[in-house]
Amino acid sequence: MRIRRRLAGTVAAGAAMALVLSACATDGDDEGSGPSRGFEDCLDDPDNCNAGDREEGGTMTWTLDQAPDGFFPWSPEGGSVYTLQAINGILPYVGQFLPSGDWKPNMDLLATEPELVSSDPVTVTFDIRDEAVWDDGTPITADDFQLTWMMSASEDEGHCEGCRPRSTASADSLESVEGSNDGKTVTITYKDGVAAPEWFATMFSAHGILGGVAPRHYGEQNGFDLDDPEGRGEYFEFLNDNAPEFSGGPYLIESFDIDNQVVKVPNPEWYGEEAPTLERLVVRFLTDEDTWIPALQNDELHGASPAGYAEDVIRQVQDLDGVRVHIGAGPSWEHLDMNMDNQWLGEHPELREAIFVAVDASDIAERNFGSLFPDYQLRTNHVHSETSEWHVDHLEGTNQGTGDIELAREILEAAGFEGMDEGPGGLTYDGETVGPFRLRSTSAPARATAQQLIQGYLAEIGIEANIEPTDDLGGTLVAQDFDIMQFGWSGSPLFTGAGSQYWLTGSGSNFGNYSNDEVDALVEQELQAESLEESAQLHDQMMEIVMADAYVLPLYDSPVYIFVTEEYVNVRDNANSSLRGLYEHHMWGLAVE
Amino acid sequence: MLVYSIRRLLAAIPVLLAASMFVFLLVDISGDPVAELIFQAEATGEPLSEEAQQEIAARLYHDRSMPERYWLWLTGWPGSAHNGDIGLIRGEFGPSTRGTAFDIGSDIASRLATTLRLVGLATLLGIVLGIITGVISAVRQYSKTDHIITFIGFLSLSMPVFWFGVLIKEVGVSINNAIGFRIFYTIGSQSPVREGYSAWDNFTDIAGHLILPTITLALVGYAVFSRFQRASMLEVLGSDYVRLARAKGLRNGTVMRRHALRTALIPVLTLVTIGIAGSIDGAVLTETVFQWQGLGRYFVDALGRTDTFAVMGFLMLSGTLVVVANLIADLLYAVLDPRIRYD
Repeated sequence: MRIRRRLAGTVAAGAAMALVLSACATDGDDEGSGPSRGFEDCLDDPDNCNAGDREEGGTMTWTLDQAPDGFFPWSPEGGSVYTLQAINGILPYVGQFLPSGDWKPNMDLLATEPELVSSDPVTVTFDIRDEAVWDDGTPITADDFQLTWMMSASEDEGHCEGCRPRSTASADSLESVEGSNDGKTVTITYKDGVAAPEWFATMFSAHGILGGVAPRHYGEQNGFDLDDPEGRGEYFEFLNDNAPEFSGGPYLIESFDIDNQVVKVPNPEWYGEEAPTLERLVVRFLTDEDTWIPALQNDELHGASPAGYAEDVIRQVQDLDGVRVHIGAGPSWEHLDMNMDNQWLGEHPELREAIFVAVDASDIAERNFGSLFPDYQLRTNHVHSETSEWHVDHLEGTNQGTGDIELAREILEAAGFEGMDEGPGGLTYDGETVGPFRLRSTSAPARATAQQLIQGYLAEIGIEANIEPTDDLGGTLVAQDFDIMQFGWSGSPLFTGAGSQYWLTGSGSNFGNYSNDEVDALVEQELQAESLEESAQLHDQMMEIVMADAYVLPLYDSPVYIFVTEEYVNVRDNANSSLRGLYEHHMWGLAVE
Repeated sequence: MLVYSIRRLLAAIPVLLAASMFVFLLVDISGDPVAELIFQAEATGEPLSEEAQQEIAARLYHDRSMPERYWLWLTGWPGSAHNGDIGLIRGEFGPSTRGTAFDIGSDIASRLATTLRLVGLATLLGIVLGIITGVISAVRQYSKTDHIITFIGFLSLSMPVFWFGVLIKEVGVSINNAIGFRIFYTIGSQSPVREGYSAWDNFTDIAGHLILPTITLALVGYAVFSRFQRASMLEVLGSDYVRLARAKGLRNGTVMRRHALRTALIPVLTLVTIGIAGSIDGAVLTETVFQWQGLGRYFVDALGRTDTFAVMGFLMLSGTLVVVANLIADLLYAVLDPRIRYD
């Protein structure tokens, strides 16, 4: 009897184990477990990879890893990348950056390439194709551009009462937006003294706060007096509160359930060269990444280009048959920031320098991404990624980020610090213990690993650092509630003005309260730069100072991934756009067999 | 009984008031929605303008002090609260960070129906299975059957929902693949596109989405009910009146059905009300694992976007449900058990 009971117990345990294993098992093999399985051609031809002929029909389900916060990306609350992605394909835009980083004017909308007709004041013209119409046949004209500009400007400009654009900088830099040639030519004139080296990427590009141009006639149809500032304000709220029922792009929104999904169907009036072939594109908002693998296996999901990097998900996707997956450098980059108001960090630049020298950026990146993405890219420039033509290595020669503990100790010793060899908490200055420091970041896996490593590096030079994760990154930064902070900035090929955002004294995004008169002066100059070359050079000068001040240590470009099942073609990632994989989704379709 | 009910209701008021203070403090200090929106905007490469930041702060009452914000959230008084969108006692949960078009009260109400569908079915399944297996287990105490049921009960109790959810999805997908037809769905409470669906198609679609999460959520409830029913049944089976009934020569089935089971069900049934309230909290995980758009996921999503008033709304609703469930359980107990009478 006892033996039988034991046997039964063993069988039960075995059955339970089998269940466990079945949950972990995948049906793939080791084939193509590299970072670009099925996307190999993207390494050489990022703009055209995974291309193929499409057949008509089919429904594709894509997922966003977060639901949009609004129907329109105009307002502060709706202005997230998820809203931009959700309504992508609805608003016409004048151009966008491609995965390669090249600028591509939208020649579906434009008759000719945009032209800089004057540089004083900066004046740009766009010629709209006669064929370009909204979904009800109304022509897309300069009136739409003008209204979009007016509703994007700050209230002081006097164009709109009650509009709440989340950013007004681009619109406020314009003097006028006018139409001619029956509204088919749009002339944009910047204010006197405004230099606009990135004039080609105006606020009407896919990279503007709206991601395109809003329709004027739709507002009039809904009873708003758009010649009146108050009427524009009312239209603003209307757009903010209602799912778009119009389209000037390749897709129309069939339904928009803001908690669950947006369903898009081809716009029958689409005037572009390539029409959507999918019968429907469903973009579901699946916030829990653990749900994606079963959904992929169950044909409920076909692809995603999530914002985060989830190693376990990537491994599972790589193990699935029939799914393409690609890992690459993403749009954001990680860095360590100092709190300049901290008693020790603010007053001792050598201490900051020693800390940055002790940190081994390569080690952090290797341990986080080495196994799946050995081609991770260390960040050596605050503004330009390694692939940018403007990139200059600003870490070279500084020894920051090298993990050179001996050098870090020498720097501290020369500055009068003692106790570097005595482990965490041993470092002193004038007999007073330095720190401990609060090392903060979110608890995302890669950041948690980095924090532990950084804690270890600092221990080697006698500094005690206490890791304090935060779930409220924004709140922590704005409140300056950290000593040393790790977080990410979203990079963009558009770079003019970056210095004023990151390092200008008093800037809302200068979270560590850095202040340097030289940098401030360079920022002022840069805002007047007339060419990209001049702007880039001024940024280089700023970065040299910021590096010497040891305020921000760039770590690495955060990797991202994309996956899509093999039956769909023309899907590829775009790290230069907030839209990521969705950047030209009207080209997606079922592959011709 | 009436006096007792009124007394219990009055006693619930200070409990809820204390809960409101606790919830508010906990949530308010844990995140700043204004800062979160500022940072979100940075991710698009377009920093929020100063004007926009001030507008958001005012709309979310973050231009007020914390005590003032709490008072406003609780009472909506003074009348300077914008748009009358705040004041729990007036049924207003406060503004959502998602914008003026979103009303937290309406959102919660619409999600409640989805959650109740899941919770109701899961509780029913848990109760039925729990009672049946609990009774069998007690009647056949220390038998092989009892051991197996006990093993399954403890296994169920110890399996995390998020893990079991993944496991059962694998099983569902495997079955779908084996039969070459999709019966089980792993995400959502229904398909996003149901164009051309007949009533039958709709029914099967909803059922297909319901089965796996229901089993997942029912699992924990089942384990609790089963163990509780077993213990209750054993206690009754060992009581004098059951022994007397047997001694009188009543048939075993009659003793079980009329004397033992009826009595043993009383404590279990009172547990049901608390179980339903508890399941709503349990639905947080299940709805996340299956991406159901119910109250649970609403809470998780609200946490993710630092939608503080929405988080507080969920927690207060949850707390109120627990208080009400306890009240109902006590009253039910008094009604069902003739030995217990309150005045």
